[in-house]
Amino acid sequence: MSNRAALLVLVAATLGTYAFRAGLILLLADRSLPVVVERALQNVGPAVLAALTVNLAVGGDGGTSVDIDAIELASLGIAAVVGLRTKNLVFMLLAGMAALLLLTEIF
Amino acid sequence: METEAAPTRHSRVDRQAFTDAIPLLIPAVPFGFVLGLAMTKSEMPLWAAWLTSPLVFAGAAQLTMVTIAGTASLWAIISAVLVINSRHVMYSAALAPLFREQPRWFRWVGPVMLIDQVFALAMLRSDQEPDSFRRYYITTMVLFGTTWNVAVPLGMVIGPVIPEAWRLDFAPVIMFAGLALFAIKRVPAGVAALVGGSISLLAAGLSDRLGILVGAVCGVVAGAIAEQRITTLTTRQEVDQ
Repeated sequence: MSNRAALLVLVAATLGTYAFRAGLILLLADRSLPVVVERALQNVGPAVLAALTVNLAVGGDGGTSVDIDAIELASLGIAAVVGLRTKNLVFMLLAGMAALLLLTEIF
Repeated sequence: METEAAPTRHSRVDRQAFTDAIPLLIPAVPFGFVLGLAMTKSEMPLWAAWLTSPLVFAGAAQLTMVTIAGTASLWAIISAVLVINSRHVMYSAALAPLFREQPRWFRWVGPVMLIDQVFALAMLRSDQEPDSFRRYYITTMVLFGTTWNVAVPLGMVIGPVIPEAWRLDFAPVIMFAGLALFAIKRVPAGVAALVGGSISLLAAGLSDRLGILVGAVCGVVAGAIAEQRITTLTTRQEVDQ
């Protein structure tokens, strides 16, 4: 990739991402949204984050088939249980990573 | 008496933000490491790859950018990044009511670092006064900005030495799973997450990680339907009583 091409990608990605992040904050700032819409937006976080998790877990970048093995799935399950019990993301991460390494070692 | 209250009121740093952000900051470090490592193997010139951290500031999009650079066309790379980051439109919409009472300068500066974690934390403090919300938000912005822009260059330097057997590539998955899990506070949000995740799985074959967006939109719609159903049921029960 040439320097010029890289610069183009960098500028487009920077401006596009900022527009996405700032757009509605700037446009909607002086107006109110209907209650139904505001309530629906509360579900945006959980929906996007769950979709992102699954997409990253199965390597969903197109072309390739779904790619997650039983060990990864089990580790994610263990992490979720620890997360629900402790409500702590660090414990959840440690449990998940420890399970992944241990299970990989055993099987 | 007023002078006694002054130090807390004029404090520019929000301690609560520190406490809340630490569990999210720690997983950002391995993510940054992995990204830094990917940058050293990328076809993208190192200077441009490095600049994506302070400028684009979006892990998943940056990782995609440096991974497919050289193998995809310019437009394919740009559209992949924009599709992945389009979820920020929804964050922007969700935060708009909170920014309504903020000064103009902050409406322009605040969105610069509106990443998944900053959004998740900001929503936790949506009930705060405008001034303390702004302090909280700025503190999380500075914390994530600093951590990310230290972790990524560190990954560029140290990353190549870490054994692949440590499976740092899986850490982001657990991180996002935790963020999703902790964001669920009401039944409709649970429905949104469940449907969002399931549809994302079905749509995983779509290119440019479009599955994230498709799953998210379906999840939000499902959450809204659940909300409606629950409201109708509650109203009916109240009428019956």
